[in-house]
Amino acid sequence: MYTVFLYDGTFDGLLTCIDKILSTHVNEDEVVIAEKDRYQPMFFDSPVYVALDKNRSQELRQKVISASDKITFKKIYYCFLSEAQNKETYIYKYIKLILKHGKKVKYLYHNDVVNFVEKASKNVSREIGKYMGLMRFSEIKNGVLYAQFEPTNDILVPISYFFRERLKNFKWVIHDKKRSKLSIYDTKMIKFLNDINLNASFSDDENLYQKLWKLYFKTMAIEERKNLKLQRQNMPKKYWKYLTEKN
Amino acid sequence: MDILEKLQILGAAAKYDVSCASSGSKRETNYGIGSTFTAGICHSWTDDGRCISLLKVLFTNECLFDCAYCINRKSNDIKRATFTPYEVAELTMNFYKRNYIEGLFLSSAIKNSPDWTMEMLYKTVYLLRYKYQFNGYIHVKAIPYASLDLIRRTGFLADRMSVNIELPSEKSLKLLCPNKTKESILKPMEFITKVGEEERNFVSAGQSTQMIIGATDDSDRKIITLSQHLYKKFKLKRVYYSAYTPVNDDPRILKVEKPPLLREHRLYQADWLIRVYNFTADELFEKDENLDLEVDPKVMWALRHLDKFPVEVNKASYEELIRVPGIGIKSARRIIKNRVFHSLDFDDLKKIGVVLKRAKYFITCNGKTYERHLIDTVPEKVKLQLIEKKAAEQKVKQLSFFDSEVFTSVITGEI
Ligand code: SF4
Repeated sequence: MYTVFLYDGTFDGLLTCIDKILSTHVNEDEVVIAEKDRYQPMFFDSPVYVALDKNRSQELRQKVISASDKITFKKIYYCFLSEAQNKETYIYKYIKLILKHGKKVKYLYHNDVVNFVEKASKNVSREIGKYMGLMRFSEIKNGVLYAQFEPTNDILVPISYFFRERLKNFKWVIHDKKRSKLSIYDTKMIKFLNDINLNASFSDDENLYQKLWKLYFKTMAIEERKNLKLQRQNMPKKYWKYLTEKN
Repeated sequence: MDILEKLQILGAAAKYDVSCASSGSKRETNYGIGSTFTAGICHSWTDDGRCISLLKVLFTNECLFDCAYCINRKSNDIKRATFTPYEVAELTMNFYKRNYIEGLFLSSAIKNSPDWTMEMLYKTVYLLRYKYQFNGYIHVKAIPYASLDLIRRTGFLADRMSVNIELPSEKSLKLLCPNKTKESILKPMEFITKVGEEERNFVSAGQSTQMIIGATDDSDRKIITLSQHLYKKFKLKRVYYSAYTPVNDDPRILKVEKPPLLREHRLYQADWLIRVYNFTADELFEKDENLDLEVDPKVMWALRHLDKFPVEVNKASYEELIRVPGIGIKSARRIIKNRVFHSLDFDDLKKIGVVLKRAKYFITCNGKTYERHLIDTVPEKVKLQLIEKKAAEQKVKQLSFFDSEVFTSVITGEI
């Protein structure tokens, strides 16, 4: 028999939920954690909903970091951003391992839980890394830069912080089309918004620079060394939809 | 001439330049637009599978000089173009803010005079840093014979500078570059090293150079010995090797049918060994003048020193581990970290990412060899096993130089 815990879908919500579970006496193997809106109730379940409590999540965050380190905590966060099945339950078990073994957990590579978290977080950080290079911004009428993408994982937040450093003096919008989420940066701070539709038209320069970039992209290829397979390996087709040079 | 046509001509003229990595800048700034990223970021991959990270262009391809191997030499009848500093700066900014690129790689032929050319490069970089407040990565060439003062001023604005050494010996340089002297290359190189040691924020990502391979009869030993010298004496960050692609019909150049890509690849590997693995050129060339094309230079070295093997993975020092073919810096570090917790067997090695394909002939785990691999077999037999299935020759033919596995190792030279 499983005990099902539901959380609100946010990272802090999940931490609150895990903190709550840690303070109750349930058998680890019987814990299931799921997002409230995605959860499909089973016949015998009586799920418990744990509401977000910032103090509690903050406390657990500190506890995990002092038992291990920031890098390990970031792994947990990245795992949370992944689309891996049952990630919440694995994160719960992983946190338990950290509280027991400290940052040595990364050497327990035989362990399924550790393996799961390592894999999922690597997958996310790889995707973030790809988009650092492959995100394409276009200038729209009011000089704002606009980028759209459809990432596999929910990486809008970390990717936005990356571009805050990179494009400090520009106003920009990054649009996760798959999840209908936006981040907006006004040269001071980033705001995150949900369920927004955007209509924008290009600035006068935009067409010229797209043309220049396409030309440059073509010019740089060395005909005698053509290797489209290798190109696809480095830049898989899933990224092409919003790549200026591929359209 | 419009900007599209200029970009086409001056981009094409720069595309064979290989030294365009964008990593490792430590320039300190807290203003303006953009940032450099320590690991380097690829923004696209061309149809030949190479990564684009910088806008790589020549400022001009109109050249006063007449180097035998160069498409831009004075005596060639080709389309010529010259940017203005403003045009290059605008292109860079507009590409950068659309996230097409990481920064600029600006090289040039020598037009009007070396100083005129250097001044144009300086102006371009100045515009970018001060007018546009651009903080991204900039790599500029230092032009031979340009005044040291101009080079100095440019160096404070650039992340990296490079003077191309072009050829591995003075004899070859005399033969192919009648207008350049050894002096004209080594003087600015030495100058950049010196200022770099004295001043902060001067070419903070260091200095690099490029050498052409296969246009002359210089041996691998000569090339790698020169590189070793450059790393030591001039503290260069990288030496890039560029297999010569025949563009001119010139009797002074060795007849090359195809660019010697596999040789270039082996040189990168040897370079990596002297730069990161503490090998010396003498160790790599005890007997031969050239590298073995069939196996990588670490295997070549190991086969000559089978007396140093097998290495016991659970006991060996870091220095011993990294000399094992197939064990790189990363794997060696992981081995040392992990064996603290428990002793490692071959399965564990696989799990932490050691590639056993090569390593298995040279190691033991707790005294055991891998399956029934005998370490003390004759070198020739081991070598036969280690020659990759596709014959080395075929590799060159199919240009699998650009296959991903080989290619990544070309960029880093890692073995
Ligand atoms: S100076 Fe440079 S551009 Fe001019 S011919 Fe020589 S190699 Fe070519």
